[in-house]
Amino acid sequence: MYRLLLLSALIVLASCNTTRVIKPLEKGEKQIGASFGGPGIIYAGVPLPLPMTSISYAQGLDTGLTLAAGLHTSALLFGDAEVDLSLGIKVYASKSERFGLTASPGVHLLYGFRGNDFRAYPQLEGIGWWQYGEKNHLLYGGLGTWIELVREKAHGEVQDNELMPYLTLGHQFAGEKWQWQAEARYIGFNYSNDNIVVDYIGPFPNGTTGLYVGVTRKIGKK
Amino acid sequence: MRKLIPILILALVSTACIKLDALIYSPYTDIEAYLLDDYEGRQEIAVGDDYNIPDSNLHVFTLSSDPEGDAKEIYALYVGDISEIATDTVILYLHGNTGHLDLYWTRIKLLANAGHKNRFGVMAIDYRGFGLSEGPPTEEGLYEDADAAMKWLKENGLTDDRLVVYGYSLGGAPATELTANPRTFRPSKLMLESPFASDEVMVQDGSGMSLPGDYFSSLEIDNAEEIKKVEVPFFWIHGTSDAFLSIETHGEVVFKNYQGIYSEAHRVEGGEHSNVPEVMGYDPYLEVVLEFLER
Repeated sequence: MYRLLLLSALIVLASCNTTRVIKPLEKGEKQIGASFGGPGIIYAGVPLPLPMTSISYAQGLDTGLTLAAGLHTSALLFGDAEVDLSLGIKVYASKSERFGLTASPGVHLLYGFRGNDFRAYPQLEGIGWWQYGEKNHLLYGGLGTWIELVREKAHGEVQDNELMPYLTLGHQFAGEKWQWQAEARYIGFNYSNDNIVVDYIGPFPNGTTGLYVGVTRKIGKK
Repeated sequence: MRKLIPILILALVSTACIKLDALIYSPYTDIEAYLLDDYEGRQEIAVGDDYNIPDSNLHVFTLSSDPEGDAKEIYALYVGDISEIATDTVILYLHGNTGHLDLYWTRIKLLANAGHKNRFGVMAIDYRGFGLSEGPPTEEGLYEDADAAMKWLKENGLTDDRLVVYGYSLGGAPATELTANPRTFRPSKLMLESPFASDEVMVQDGSGMSLPGDYFSSLEIDNAEEIKKVEVPFFWIHGTSDAFLSIETHGEVVFKNYQGIYSEAHRVEGGEHSNVPEVMGYDPYLEVVLEFLER
């Protein structure tokens, strides 16, 4: 049955890695990125993060406003397409830009070619960040949620979950061009793990924890 | 960026057929013979000597199963007196997604002893890819292999009115499919233990969201829909603590969608996915099984 557990765990593209920006880029600034990671499960007794991958592009549209787009490459392996679009909006930044708050509304779009199924999941996230050190490393934490628009599940059953919230805590190591990012998430803390097919890893009976790593690189001229 | 677009399209097209269907099957193939009572590996449930079957009632043999030119030799087990197939009720037991016949042997023995010692003939098979049966498991193979068992039973004199199909877990798929859409037989009764509703329910249980099942699987198993076509009497049993296939999202949906002439539900308090007969107690379990078989 463990193989079946893996089947069901791998499906959780809905909890896959993130492509939004933590701190909005400068106007005209561009970056590309890739990330890897996903929710944790117990597989054959071993805790594992699911190997979700994505590539991303972001561009500063204006001061304090960045557009980010991501292509979820792991979804392609299943014959599905998943992209996400998000804005990084500066809500607050201290004068020295040491502290700040970013709002990140977005949407994940999924399309299954086999059944011609389409789903759209709006996403909202608020992120607080602290920039420190000479290289401006970034420590951040936030609260976000996916929003379920479909009210009916398979076989006409009612979809009770309207939100799939998550908490994040992460760190960006800043370089001249490259930035490295590590992020932990606690996903679906409103969602009971009782009697579901997946053995998720979490500190409580609800939800799962996820681990993600990513790299971004600034491209072009500002 | 322009150079990237064709690469992305190519990647999409070239990977579009990868699905996780095969992961639903978890067969064990590391055996050289079926050992039954002598099997020392993991078994679903443990039963005492009261349920032993005499060697004269054990028949292990092979069947040819041929779904559209993909002929495979699969292994079958018949428990009982073959000469009585022409006159008595026979249970076709279709096992779950893990292991092989030895794992389910104790369950098969229980059913053979419903009512009294060695009361019922029970037929069971290893689907292709399970145990000693040839080939990789496939969805159509599940149906065709179960139908091959029915053909053998028919050749030995069984008639529609005396065939009862019992599907456990994954076995609920061929059991429901062949009762809803009869091929060789039109079974007289359907019994499902801990069935799953569909792969879509698995996806949605696992993700907590309304993701369609075919994002990840091309399986077409859909017991919750197929059960609507079943008219014959229906018996459903499921553990309330099933942490694998939730009774609420899987079993209850299948039961609710049944629209036939008679149904009965047995929600076994504290029962998990693999131990419902044990938790219920073997005598009470066999009592309700017998009542259904004889009604």
